[in-house]
Amino acid sequence: MDSSTAAILNEVFFDTIGYWYVILPTIFLGLIVGGIPGFSAANTIIILMPLTLAMDLQTGLIFMISLYCSSRMGAGIPAILVNIPGTAGAAATPLDGYPMAKQGKGQQALAISFVASCIGGLLTTLIALATMPLLARVGFYMHSVEMIVVMLFGISLIASIAAQDMVKGLIAGFLGLMIGSIGTDVVYATPRGTFGFLELYDGVPLIPALVGLFAVSEALIIIEKRIIINHEAEIKKASWHDTFEGVSIALKRWWHIMWTSVIGLVIGVIPGAGASIASFVAYQQSRSFSKTPELYGTGHPEGLIAPESANNGVTSGTLVPLLVLGIPGGATAAIMLVVMQFHGVSFGPSLFEDQPKVGYGMFMAMAVCYAVMIFTILPLSRYMSHVTTIPTIYLAPMIISFTLVGGFVPREYMFDMYLALGFGVLGYIARRTGYHVAAILIGVILGPLLEKYFLWSLKKSDGDIMVLFSSTLGNILWVAFAASIILPIVFGMRRKRKSEVVIQ
Amino acid sequence: MASDQNNQPRQIGGELVIPIIAVVFTLYFFSTIWNSPWTAQVSAFLVGGVLLLVCAIFFVRCVMLLRRGEGTLGFANLVTMEDIRTGRVGLLFTTIAYVVLIDRLGFTLTTFLFLTSSMLILAKGRNPAFIALISGVMALTGWAVFIWAFDTRFPHGLFETAMKAVLTDG
Repeated sequence: MDSSTAAILNEVFFDTIGYWYVILPTIFLGLIVGGIPGFSAANTIIILMPLTLAMDLQTGLIFMISLYCSSRMGAGIPAILVNIPGTAGAAATPLDGYPMAKQGKGQQALAISFVASCIGGLLTTLIALATMPLLARVGFYMHSVEMIVVMLFGISLIASIAAQDMVKGLIAGFLGLMIGSIGTDVVYATPRGTFGFLELYDGVPLIPALVGLFAVSEALIIIEKRIIINHEAEIKKASWHDTFEGVSIALKRWWHIMWTSVIGLVIGVIPGAGASIASFVAYQQSRSFSKTPELYGTGHPEGLIAPESANNGVTSGTLVPLLVLGIPGGATAAIMLVVMQFHGVSFGPSLFEDQPKVGYGMFMAMAVCYAVMIFTILPLSRYMSHVTTIPTIYLAPMIISFTLVGGFVPREYMFDMYLALGFGVLGYIARRTGYHVAAILIGVILGPLLEKYFLWSLKKSDGDIMVLFSSTLGNILWVAFAASIILPIVFGMRRKRKSEVVIQ
Repeated sequence: MASDQNNQPRQIGGELVIPIIAVVFTLYFFSTIWNSPWTAQVSAFLVGGVLLLVCAIFFVRCVMLLRRGEGTLGFANLVTMEDIRTGRVGLLFTTIAYVVLIDRLGFTLTTFLFLTSSMLILAKGRNPAFIALISGVMALTGWAVFIWAFDTRFPHGLFETAMKAVLTDG
């Protein structure tokens, strides 16, 4: 980094700090909209587009970026406290976050999530800033073949979830993949499995599926108990000690935060890939290489850190192709592109030469936002965790009403509310009979993407299946994928052998 | 409940619901792509084929459990009298009514009615005044945030129309 770049970074840092009056309220707005399924950062920016366009460029960008980062973090809060991910990007968060909340460790879980999110987001922002030209090329190298392997990394989580009962886990996962196939095929637009509903031609919308499988089914389940936390867990008076303990747990696993957030960054750079893929892949990799994989799913801090740091790593990743290539890496980045074009900003490598303050300013806004968030949000974990002590007779109907209408928001079809209700009943049956709803959701989210890339590959190769092994990077990823499946089994067997030796 | 279930034979009837849904849906899906181009078929046949295979394995496993007397075709893990006692059935019906009525009555009024009725069912009729109060506050907060402030196109009804007239015409 030359001295002029350092001087620009220094200048935009102090400039951004000067916009604290925009950052602070936006963080709270982002936490709210991120926590309600259907109200993502993208939707909110669209709704507030007239306001954003009326602002000057720098204020508008800081507003959008603060909203983007905080909504990403906000999505994890209901995922931890009431098992309802605010967005698909937080769908892996409840796997270990919610069991912690049920054990009466909601405050700790929130603190872990906030620290992992902020450090993950901050770190990946700095890495993105330093390695932008290199990262921008990742998008060029990741074609449909390579993306198939990335999807398989995420989908292999189904097998891990299925570990307790492999057959039932696979039924749930493949049912999800089958549901994810509903809609028209990507090549000839042939409608499939739509039951004649035009609303399903674009495929199964994610938010109604998320709302139904997690929120509605959870609301129908939790009424068995007076409050969310288990009766065995002692209801303690909230104290700062739990927050500090959560911070300490997260900081002790700093290396875990680092490498899982880098997974998020790399996946975020790939246009079209998103936080949901990143969080599933990070969770699966975290579990695969953990010394205690058997603890995952029971309220293990590492199982919470991985998806949270990864989905916040995605935020900075999506900015790289946007700024360097003019290709948005996700829906929110696409809206940012519209706003920036409205203000006459041109994209591509020239951006950092013609308007360096805008280019570097966006990353700096992200870094400042994450730094501010850790100090503003962390103290709130003490109060937020009270949600788990609200009587379920009040909580369950509120969850149902506000998440069902959240299912309506993205497309504004009444059909989506019926769909969410249908998924709710499916999720309820699945939970009561021992099928994992997360396995179904992974299939619904990643299934259509896998199919899309698979068909593109086959189309390009005239149906030759060997195209899957035709690229160097793809083959490296295949080897890494095979290693991520085989090595944990080998490590597990070695651990088992060692423990047997100790017992003898 | 968990300990009760441990003492009872495994309730396979309930466990069979998801695989049966999966098989029926997969066969329906296959019927919609039978005469389609290969691009529409390849992935679905691959995934659906595996799903049918896994379901077949599960059905065989269930038959073996039934033969050994370790399971019954009961549905006790899915439907019990507890569902009526806890108000779950009532909550499910109010939820269905909410989705059906929201398009006709609008977001605010339907949300208020849904929250009040379902909370009263779950609370077995206790604290009606408190329930009506928090239902009203939640419904009005929802209206203020989503419809008034964010201007989302939530279903409009009598209340929304009246409030729009009041706010527009003063």
